[in-house]
Amino acid sequence: MASKVSFKGKGKAAAKGADERSAAKCMKEWSTWAMKKAKVITHYGFIPLIIVIGMNSEPKPQLYQLLSPV
Amino acid sequence: MGSSGSHAEDRPPATPQTPQPLGLAGILPPKTEEKGDGKGATEKVDWLNLPCPVPFEEIQREALMSLKPELFEGLRFDFTKALNQRFALSHSVFMGSMEVPSQTSDVIKVPSAHYEFGANFLDPKLMLVGRVLTDGRLNARVKCDLTDNLTLKINAQLTNEPHFSQGMFNFDYKGKDYRTQFQIGNNAFYGANYIQSVSPHLSLGSEIFWLGHQRKSGIGFAARYNTDKMVATAQVASTGVLALSYVQKVSEKVSLASDFMYNHMTRDVTSSFGYDYILRQCRLRGKLDSNGVVAAFLEERLNMGVNMILSAEIDHAKKDYKFGFGMTVGE
Repeated sequence: MASKVSFKGKGKAAAKGADERSAAKCMKEWSTWAMKKAKVITHYGFIPLIIVIGMNSEPKPQLYQLLSPV
Repeated sequence: MGSSGSHAEDRPPATPQTPQPLGLAGILPPKTEEKGDGKGATEKVDWLNLPCPVPFEEIQREALMSLKPELFEGLRFDFTKALNQRFALSHSVFMGSMEVPSQTSDVIKVPSAHYEFGANFLDPKLMLVGRVLTDGRLNARVKCDLTDNLTLKINAQLTNEPHFSQGMFNFDYKGKDYRTQFQIGNNAFYGANYIQSVSPHLSLGSEIFWLGHQRKSGIGFAARYNTDKMVATAQVASTGVLALSYVQKVSEKVSLASDFMYNHMTRDVTSSFGYDYILRQCRLRGKLDSNGVVAAFLEERLNMGVNMILSAEIDHAKKDYKFGFGMTVGE
């Protein structure tokens, strides 16, 4: 009986340890996924962001000025 | 007798007066005050009001500006179009050879051509600079003043290839007579530096960094002594690098600079000497190196906003000759 209880206790501790490890792993996976998405968003969106902020600053430039060389 | 007495009473009483100065002398402050504040006496140092030092990474800025111009080989054309006072678009074309770093002492050049599109937004409080190349590489720089003294700078190079992108976050704090900076970079890079003015001319600083993935750390110290006419700096780091530089401003238009670098790990010693002529229509920088390299860089202003660039670098030791020309249109 005692051995059975102790075995169960060890199992629980092992399960808890595995839970914590998988929680840390989950966090790491999610943060890596978030960093990857952030990198892609920055890569494609940084220059359009500057253009949007610039076109909305005072005095507002016209849209054709973006493309014309004058 | 009586008549003379009455005349005496009629005359206005003569009061003793200092003679009033005439003309310009009446407007300017009297000379005695000026002599007291003149240059004859040595000025007292106000130890509680020292000037703010330059940022740690710019400690060798004068020497770098004079001795390391952006030399290139090939054709370079830059066009900057300002839409606004703060917003500008830039187009840049480069055709020429780029040097590939090689392990041997041979020089490997790869011919390449690229077009780069960029957008700048410059506000007193926020600066955004982005440049994208035809192969998909993005160079992004952000500088944001969070408060009067705290600044956030972000510097990133993003590529399409995985694991080649780099990014760095810097937090700068400017105090009354000190500056401090904290850096976080990718590959678990952490760094911090601190620089303090200890006298009106001398400032001392130090930096530490830690590379997470390679478990490397380092510490470095720097000192900068500058007056109106000269700047002398010294930097030593635990990576085994010692760098000294000296810049003398000979006149308003001419500066001379010299630089010495010693790398203890690779037993590499380099010393260079250069000049910087800032004239009305052009800026000419030239340098001579102990590795047998002679270089010159000329920026000539042809017209308002049109600059012509000539770059030459002759490496006598490796027999490598690089000549470049270009034009910059726009501010």
